[in-house]
Amino acid sequence: MIVKKLVEKIEGEAELDFTFNKGSIEDVKIGFGFYRGIEEILVGKAPRDALVITPRVCGICNHAHLLAAVGAIEDGYRHAGIKVELSKKAQRIREFTLACELIQNHVKWLYFTILPTLEKLTGEESGENHMLKASYVASTMTKAMAIFSGQWPHSSYAVPGGVTCDPTYVDVMRATALVDETVRFFEQVMVGIPMDRYLQIDSVSSLYEVQGDIGRLLHLLGTYGMARKGRSHDRFIVFGEGLGFVSGKSIVTTVSGVDTRYIKEAIQEGTTAKAVTYKKRLYETGPLARGMVAKTPIFKSLHKRYKDGMLTRIFARLHEIGLLLEQSRRLLRKLDVSQPSCTLESRLMASSFEGVGVVEAARGSLIHKTRVQDRRISRYEIIVPTQWNLSHGNDRERGVAVEAMIGSMSIEEASFIFRSFDVCSVCTTQ
Amino acid sequence: MKKGVEKRKRADKPKLLWLQSITCNGNTHSFLNHPDLFSILSRFELVHHPILDTTYTIEDLIAYRIPCDVLIVEGAYIQTGMAKGGVEVSSLIAHYGTSAKYIITAGTCATFGGIFKQKDPDRISGLAFDGEETTERYEDFRDKLVSLLGCPIHPKWLGYVLMMIADGREMPLDAMHRPQELYGITVHTGCSRNEYFEWKVDAKGFGVKEGCLFYELGCQGPYTHGSCNRILWNDISSKTVAGTPCFGCTEPDFPKTTLFESETRMGIPARMPLGVPRRAYLTATGVAKSFKIKRLEERVIDYDR
Repeated sequence: MIVKKLVEKIEGEAELDFTFNKGSIEDVKIGFGFYRGIEEILVGKAPRDALVITPRVCGICNHAHLLAAVGAIEDGYRHAGIKVELSKKAQRIREFTLACELIQNHVKWLYFTILPTLEKLTGEESGENHMLKASYVASTMTKAMAIFSGQWPHSSYAVPGGVTCDPTYVDVMRATALVDETVRFFEQVMVGIPMDRYLQIDSVSSLYEVQGDIGRLLHLLGTYGMARKGRSHDRFIVFGEGLGFVSGKSIVTTVSGVDTRYIKEAIQEGTTAKAVTYKKRLYETGPLARGMVAKTPIFKSLHKRYKDGMLTRIFARLHEIGLLLEQSRRLLRKLDVSQPSCTLESRLMASSFEGVGVVEAARGSLIHKTRVQDRRISRYEIIVPTQWNLSHGNDRERGVAVEAMIGSMSIEEASFIFRSFDVCSVCTTQ
Repeated sequence: MKKGVEKRKRADKPKLLWLQSITCNGNTHSFLNHPDLFSILSRFELVHHPILDTTYTIEDLIAYRIPCDVLIVEGAYIQTGMAKGGVEVSSLIAHYGTSAKYIITAGTCATFGGIFKQKDPDRISGLAFDGEETTERYEDFRDKLVSLLGCPIHPKWLGYVLMMIADGREMPLDAMHRPQELYGITVHTGCSRNEYFEWKVDAKGFGVKEGCLFYELGCQGPYTHGSCNRILWNDISSKTVAGTPCFGCTEPDFPKTTLFESETRMGIPARMPLGVPRRAYLTATGVAKSFKIKRLEERVIDYDR
């Protein structure tokens, strides 16, 4: 029996076709909407136009697209023999603005998606205005970011050789105060304990210390038997670096190196989303992958108990909020505004080159590849995190999210598992 | 509040429906940054929205079961091929647009076609405009149409329109249905680099707070409609303040190409500031350039002194 379900209030919508066998789900087809063709739109444009066009792939992770796009151009310049060396200041500002975007994303996911869905699923509705919390934190962090990036969404402030802004210490102080405000919210509302104590949590046995909204969420997952559900291939991949992230792949718990050359994209039947594999195998990307590849103690401990189930996956994304807030403070503290913002002349460019840019976006590794001939883009490729997590799979195995939903007895529960991947349909149908 | 009273109160509020077509969700996320989001929304009944909690579901939306007084459309228009649960968004717009008293096209895609139009220029457009031209739907909707430009829209621009509607005030609109209060000025108005524009001092590359971005670095602020430097982004900054050129994202021809370079003819900007005759511009430039203002050629802060 096939049951169709339209999943809404994710980034866009997705249509899931569930195949039931004797009451449990044995297959899921994931369909996404309209293919918008950003890659094709870029062909024939000037290389730097990608810094304006590609953020428009996605309203929530637009900044990650900007940074992947500028990374691809800088990589291409280097291959063409141009020396590209960013100042520490430019690197730190880029990292900081990316951290802000990741934090706003994760907080929105918690309050718009995960907590309300789990409350409905379990009937334990708190009656609290989760939307208010999400918009408060998200607008505070995007304001901190806009001090450097000019605006969010859709900034184009990262250019080859650095950033366009030239902040003063008044700006840095303002950004610091906004991050501090978010830290206070995190401590008082989200985890209920001071940041330094929170960051010391390194095992399942100390996880009970977490209170606040995240503590309640973990408690609900445990009480309603969701903690071990949603397991998938237990295979993870990370391509980006920075902000404490480490690149590599993790199979069960063995970590090894990766190279973007082994990534393959394939067209899938019945959806506008392309599937992506690494050496023909499917991998999960995103916060859980980042935790597993970096061998963060809390994830080693969680994985030992719950494997790659819901509790581990959901906590991985929320834990990043704490880690990234701490990183944000560190980056601002170390910022020396007397260094140059941009080290390349604005007119300097290579006329033909090929480059790859990699960034850890909220949902995982984001890759841009640009090919330029005679000062015009001749080919542009974007591989988004959701392509890793939400593909149908290949002839050897099922897709990561599909595998996680198999065996569930209800559409409501399976849709919740689906949402635990932080689905973004607009990126997938770029 | 008693249930009956609450129900009646809700019934009195205009019903606000946010409908997405071919989009990146950027306008949705931009609006979520509005510091007065919940005060504004408290004046409406939010019947459906892509992210926020609403009275109706997407199943209700595609079954045409939702009442609608104010329709916000986000994303570019296409007749067929953009569907939700098998229902074309064009049909949803036709249905809800007919009952609505106001239609707000939120963003450059929804209004003119924007970036996504470039994928298939013959089939993809804005709702009532295709670039500068009106579409066949224009006549049906012209009496209720408000065009909000920007890629994305500024949260306060939409906040302004919604509150004007909620308060029952008249909004002066221009020929393209843009609120004059928001788009009657240019992005150049209020830019922190205006002094450099006046004296024709260009920025020496990216990453410096000194200099104007209009001459070399592609800034379209002087001829782009918008209040980005009057109503700051995220209540704190703007592209040009942060050293990024204005890309003209509120205009019907957005996006043009070679966005980080200024088009010039014989060393003179190819496009003049809005409404300024070339001769007037050249005269003013000639005067300004005949003086060298030392202060404007120097850095504001000398860190290495």
